[in-house]
Amino acid sequence: MLFSSIEFLLYFLPVFILIYMIVPQKLKNTVLVLGSIIFYAYGDSLRLWLLLMSIFANYLLARILRGRVVLIAALAANISVLVIFKYYQGGAMLPLGISFYTFQVVSYLVDVYRREVPAERNMIDFAAYIMMFPKLIMGPITSYGAIRQQLHHRSCSAEGLQEGMKLFILGLAGKVLLADRLALLWQEVQVAGFESISTPLAWIAAVAYSLELYFDFLGYSLMARGLGEMLGLRLPENFRYPYMAVSLREFYRRWHMTLGEWFCKYVYIPLGGSRRGEFRTICNLLAVWLLTSLWHGITWNFLIWGMGICLLIILERQIGKLWKGKAPAVCHLYLWLVIPVTWMCFAISDLGQLRIYLGRMFGLIPGMAVHAGDWQKALGNYGPLLLVGLVACTPLIRGIYRKLKKRWIGMLLLALCFWLCIHRILVEGNNPFLYFDF
Amino acid sequence: MRWWKKWSFVIMLGITGIVYFVTDESLTEMTRWERMDSAGEEKPEEEWQLLESEMTFTSVSGDPLAQEEGQEPKLPPQEESLTEETSPGEQEEMPVSGTADTESMPDEPQIRIGRVEDDYFSDALFLGDSRTVGMYEYGGLEDIATFYASTGLTIYKLFDAQIAETPGEKEKITVEEALQQQSFRKIYIMVGINEMGRGTVESFAETYGAAVAHLQELQPEAVIYIQAILKVTTERSNQGDYINNEGIEARNEALSRLADGKKVFYLDPNQAVCDEDGGLVQDYTFDGVHLKAKYIGLWKEYLKDNAVLLD
Repeated sequence: MLFSSIEFLLYFLPVFILIYMIVPQKLKNTVLVLGSIIFYAYGDSLRLWLLLMSIFANYLLARILRGRVVLIAALAANISVLVIFKYYQGGAMLPLGISFYTFQVVSYLVDVYRREVPAERNMIDFAAYIMMFPKLIMGPITSYGAIRQQLHHRSCSAEGLQEGMKLFILGLAGKVLLADRLALLWQEVQVAGFESISTPLAWIAAVAYSLELYFDFLGYSLMARGLGEMLGLRLPENFRYPYMAVSLREFYRRWHMTLGEWFCKYVYIPLGGSRRGEFRTICNLLAVWLLTSLWHGITWNFLIWGMGICLLIILERQIGKLWKGKAPAVCHLYLWLVIPVTWMCFAISDLGQLRIYLGRMFGLIPGMAVHAGDWQKALGNYGPLLLVGLVACTPLIRGIYRKLKKRWIGMLLLALCFWLCIHRILVEGNNPFLYFDF
Repeated sequence: MRWWKKWSFVIMLGITGIVYFVTDESLTEMTRWERMDSAGEEKPEEEWQLLESEMTFTSVSGDPLAQEEGQEPKLPPQEESLTEETSPGEQEEMPVSGTADTESMPDEPQIRIGRVEDDYFSDALFLGDSRTVGMYEYGGLEDIATFYASTGLTIYKLFDAQIAETPGEKEKITVEEALQQQSFRKIYIMVGINEMGRGTVESFAETYGAAVAHLQELQPEAVIYIQAILKVTTERSNQGDYINNEGIEARNEALSRLADGKKVFYLDPNQAVCDEDGGLVQDYTFDGVHLKAKYIGLWKEYLKDNAVLLD
């Protein structure tokens, strides 16, 4: 069930929230687990057993976790299930959310082993930690320590519920009104074929895709946090205005932060981080980015994406020592040129097609049947949307949101925004391409 | 705190929701009307009345309806080309219907089908949906031919669509108005994919026939090319919704019967872009529905190879 689907928004969520608010404190986690089972089964009923088994096994494993051998065996078991599914049929059979819940289980096992947190005694509470539907299928990756207290004692108030709803609507709007609209430009470019787009359009479409990806994922993360807040759970932040960064290094500290933090804590630091000299640091960075690429997908384009970024980050480290934060405008410009190129490597899984796209971006591959005015048409159709997207990359909209959300006018705008989203979803279906006009 | 203050946002969401659902009744009607909803509903009544009046008008003018009754003896070659179409192979025969019966009428001018060059399209009009927009953008004819094309165009709103750019005018005008102002010698139509979820084969062909008759009325000099609805890939066809090749074939078959071999001809560009399964070649398209820009040329070449040669 997608958050941005009618089934979720108008049926599942209201019913769930109602039951959840009514039941006594003791039963809230049980209701959360049951609701999450329904939520998951709706999307992937076949692999529900895998999730439930994983929860049961890891619950037991954590309780008997003594010594390195048990830890390594437990981690190996979890990670091999993930790897098998990633490679099996090219990842086509990937169980819903497995990349996210496996990483959470790994963090839990390691933290328990390191005695940073005690193993959870109550199986329902543990299941609620792993399964809670707000973060089950796309994160944010939440460590057990960050949420343990709230799992056991949390307050659900009218205030929290409504603040959560507001945040959820903000995320929903980002997804439905921005990301899904911008996706149409990317779709158009794919329909025309990469050989046949002009160089300006190649850049415009790359920027549109960069924005689409951001608002899609940011929207999702905000919806997850909003849902958490509605239930009285505080989920971690995933994005902090990444496009306002001044280097790729900084970008990836602001983009999908919970994943970056996970890799930092469980891979980079254990390997020695940056404390063992420049050469080891570079090796560690390579290891982290190799794993990051594999985590996103097993096709070659992800490797190009990850290794490209890693290379640039290594270069940035060297140059940064001399540069020392001078001329931030130049840094912004550098980032805004580099990021769309890296996202194209991320988006286009066919290497031949990727080569053509990058070739068109830099005018290295001659176009075929190019319509010279295509980029003007794209700007005409999508210009306002792109502009809104660019503005929404800055802290401006969040600032307005924080100022107005407690006022009548802000609440009215958010409520209208919600029904506008519902309207769009009703008109177009969940997939904006499905009921596309031809 | 008063309860209504405590729950103010939930209350507001509820009230706006009620307002939305009350007003949405009419809103959804409008959008459905605009977008040709997938539900396959019959058209609203006003439109049927409009069509009926068009139909009666054409029956006064005589030709198309009479043709519908007398079509079977009239179009034997057409039937043949259709059976071949379902079992594809090299097909040398011209798919243009009615070439045979012109020979039996010696006083009619001989109609020849053959190869033409781009300048043939200088007095041609292309009418169509997003596929024709593709032809406009990537076919290399944008400066030669005239295009009244827009995404989502259907036969039902063909004449009322405000999509015609005319020289010297800033605002686009309707196709109806444009056809009253300008004249063309050739008119190529391709619509039908957006109508797939709507009406029946018969009602679609009936509306299409009325539209062709109305076109002839507005442009008596023009040769009208009814282009078959381009098919989709077999994969897209098997997706299980209303867009599938069986449905398209059935409608194309009905469209082919609208040709009279004198002024109205049926062309099937699917021959140029389909594979042995009868679907659009997978490599030629990203979404299974639209030709990629670089393959638009195949369609254009087909049109150039199958043109009615005018004296």
